Amino acid sequence: MKKLSLRLRLIIFFTGISCLIWAIAGFVSWHESRDKADEFFDTYQMVLARQLAAADWNGVSPSLQQITNHLIDNIKNAEDEDEAIGFAVFNQDGRIIFHDNENGRYFHFDNQAEGRFVDLRIDDEDWRIVFLRSADGKFMIAVGQELEYRDDIAWDMAEEFMLPWGFGLFALLTLIIIMISLEFAPLRKLAANLSARRSDDLSPLPETNLPQEILPLIRALNRQLSQVEDLLRRERSFISDSAHELRSPLTALKVQLEVVRLSADDHTARDNALQKLEAGIERSARLVEQLLALSRIESSLGEDMDAQSLDWPQIISEIIGEYEAPAADKNISFRCRPNGIPPFENGNPVLCALLVRNLVDNAVKYSPRGAHVEITVRNGELRVINSGTSITPDNLSRLGQRFFRPAGQKETGSGLGLSIVSRIASFYGCRIKFNNDKKGFCVSITPLED
Amino acid sequence: MRILLIEDDTLIGDGLKIGLEKLGFTVDWFTDGLDGQEALYQAPYEAVILDLGLPGRDGLSILKHWRNSRRNEPVLILTARGDVDQRIAGLNSGADDYLGKPFSLLEVQARLNALIRRQTGQLSPQIFYRGVSFDPQTKKVCKDGKEVTLAPRETALLELLLHNKNKVLSKETIENKIYSWDDDVQSNAVEVHVHHLRKKLGRDIVKTINKIGYIMEDV
Repeated sequence: MKKLSLRLRLIIFFTGISCLIWAIAGFVSWHESRDKADEFFDTYQMVLARQLAAADWNGVSPSLQQITNHLIDNIKNAEDEDEAIGFAVFNQDGRIIFHDNENGRYFHFDNQAEGRFVDLRIDDEDWRIVFLRSADGKFMIAVGQELEYRDDIAWDMAEEFMLPWGFGLFALLTLIIIMISLEFAPLRKLAANLSARRSDDLSPLPETNLPQEILPLIRALNRQLSQVEDLLRRERSFISDSAHELRSPLTALKVQLEVVRLSADDHTARDNALQKLEAGIERSARLVEQLLALSRIESSLGEDMDAQSLDWPQIISEIIGEYEAPAADKNISFRCRPNGIPPFENGNPVLCALLVRNLVDNAVKYSPRGAHVEITVRNGELRVINSGTSITPDNLSRLGQRFFRPAGQKETGSGLGLSIVSRIASFYGCRIKFNNDKKGFCVSITPLED
Repeated sequence: MRILLIEDDTLIGDGLKIGLEKLGFTVDWFTDGLDGQEALYQAPYEAVILDLGLPGRDGLSILKHWRNSRRNEPVLILTARGDVDQRIAGLNSGADDYLGKPFSLLEVQARLNALIRRQTGQLSPQIFYRGVSFDPQTKKVCKDGKEVTLAPRETALLELLLHNKNKVLSKETIENKIYSWDDDVQSNAVEVHVHHLRKKLGRDIVKTINKIGYIMEDV
């Protein structure tokens, strides 16, 4: 189910709570009013009953009733007020000898109730009746009042009390609704702004005019946006760099193919061009492979896939095994000391192997004939040194940049190997350093100093 | 026609050198920017093919250096980037034309020919001289409407003399123009080529100026 908007929920909540409190207050005040009314009318009834009890009822006969009825009616009409009071006078036999000519005539005699208030049901109406013995003890006086009247009085009192509060409540709710709407206006504007955005718009959201509670959220969102923008920019530049880098091998293929065509009757030239064509295809394939590896690293480095304890000597010896044949062709020998403390101990073995393979591949490719390639793991450092090679300071500073290849390379390469190594190293909190050692060109992977 | 090629990519450079030589050019190829820059001062080149993304020294700086030292050889720049900005920068630095990678060898040839034609002030692509017609793009030579087959060096010599009509070219200049640094030059090579040209296109096609050199003169 869709959740209602915060604004609507707040309005509903405030309205509900206010109405509930108002209703409780109303109920309590009605209850209090009724208690007060009960107290008041009980006293009133008792006073009336005492006055009637003080009268002398000897010799009162039903004939007197006829006379007084008229009189009582007149009094009641004159006062124009019906307090729903009735009375009756009983003799010792329990017979009514006098009443108010209204409800009193229906009162029942109750001998047990002397001096007490009793609730009785008379003619389908609830009455509260007090019984009192006359001064001479011969008569019983009953004064009663209809309970509904008391309720009406209590209700009227409560109503008079609650009505102004009701208006107050209405005003309060109106103000609350207006205030909530006003307070939520910046949020609504923000939401509208967000939904009206183009999908590629990654510019930050405005941080002005926002409540303190939302500001951290927007800041976090803006941070995220800028990271996404950064990522996208890198991705775009990677794609555009890759596309540009593919142009060179494509040009080479095209030109060499044309040379093949032109050399129809020159077999040496044709064979030479075909060989170059093959090298060009190899180079393009390698470039594509490296690009893929790099893009996989970029996309998967977010979370370390299958980090596990790395067996560096094992990885290094496997890679050296792979390069034995090409190294033997150039009479290159390996020296290997893989048992020291590595630059990082846990990681993905595939990435780690990719790192070592790229370093060994470079070392074998760019070493002169008869060189030594030294691979050392020691004191938290991985070093690959190839003897007989040195690199100019200018090129040294550009090594590791994507697609950079020093001038005059005879070997095929993509210019991506070291940037792959550097990317993997930095993921494991390490950095790559290049320098010309006295033994030769040295690449080392060391943890970043904190 | 001797061309200076400065391109660091070995496969492209090799293809261009061999391909252009097959098409009748004489090509000196350098992979390093600084070496290439100095090479222009060492031999007479008809045109230069210059890659912009060079190690050692980048193409634009080389070009500016040449233009500042008043070298006006036509320069064709090669760019890997499709950026309009880079092309504009290249042309503004004194380049005469540009080609974006990937390009075709034949397009390089056509652009070189156009550049050389413009340089020598020639308007039509075909050159006519004493009943001989020559097409620099196809290297086709016709004598009185009939096609004549020439060896590559003979074509190069003919083209060179045609482009420098009414100018005496010394034997040394001719050697420099039609041979690259990589070629072994026999001491009588130019005489042999001139002899063949006369045999195929008529005795009076090339005039020998004693002890100075050779000339093609308008009638």
